[in-house]
Amino acid sequence: MDVAARSAPSWHRVHHGEAMTAGTNHEADLVTRARAGDRGAFEQLVRLHADRLYAVVLRVSGDRHEAEEIVQETFLRAWRNIARFQGRSQFFTWLYRIGVNEARRSHERRRTRPQSAPLADAETQVPDERQAPQARAEAHELRQALEAAILDLPLDYRMPLVLRDVEGLSTAQAATVMELGEAAFKSRLHRARLAVRAAVEDFVAQRDDS
Amino acid sequence: MIRRLLAKHRFMRDHRWTQAHLSDYIDGDLRSSDRQRVEEHAHWCPECRRVLESLRRTLKGLMELRATPGESIAPGVIDRLRRES
Repeated sequence: MDVAARSAPSWHRVHHGEAMTAGTNHEADLVTRARAGDRGAFEQLVRLHADRLYAVVLRVSGDRHEAEEIVQETFLRAWRNIARFQGRSQFFTWLYRIGVNEARRSHERRRTRPQSAPLADAETQVPDERQAPQARAEAHELRQALEAAILDLPLDYRMPLVLRDVEGLSTAQAATVMELGEAAFKSRLHRARLAVRAAVEDFVAQRDDS
Repeated sequence: MIRRLLAKHRFMRDHRWTQAHLSDYIDGDLRSSDRQRVEEHAHWCPECRRVLESLRRTLKGLMELRATPGESIAPGVIDRLRRES
């Protein structure tokens, strides 16, 4: 049972191949037209994928400005190289692979811990009004602990965790994006999960002690 | 005495194996006999039970981090594409 994939939102379900819809046929048509040089078709692909790619990159980089820059570079590179896309993988895994490599290059350039733009703010998070204030505060703190634990991971462990466990790609899709065999991918993912788990448990223990 | 040592050895071997396969267990990637091995060991091992439960909690929390940007960044990407291509 692919827990994350099963409960993923519709965008992910389409990409997981669970439902071959008119949407995926439309996308295949856009890719064909873009490969033939139709920039309007490529711009529609941008509209389809930019925001999810941004969400992935933002989780990886932890910095809004940098994430936006990475996404722009990714689409520029994708447009320049779209003729090389042979359709052997899904378009979005090809695109994400470019994005992951851009994020890696950006990380190498910076090599410092992000100082700005905490992720859990009003722009991205909608508070669940059904929760009691105390529970909301605890959920908010837990989110912050998770986000900090993700950013503490080395990049090669952070990416598998974000792709698989936050964004809900299947193991096969995320391994393809990372250009890893499934066994190597799962090994990194497991170590990343254990590290985040340990950080969260420390946070919970400290909170309960105080 | 020997029987106890063998049991301890088997327990530790299963412990290491279980710790290494907890993600596969949660993801449903183990065949039935291996699932059973995890479950039998976790039944007797409080540490593996605790790690398994907290891993599940962590994964639930990670899934809940998924968010959609408030404002689409697509127009900015398209502007740059038009400028630079």
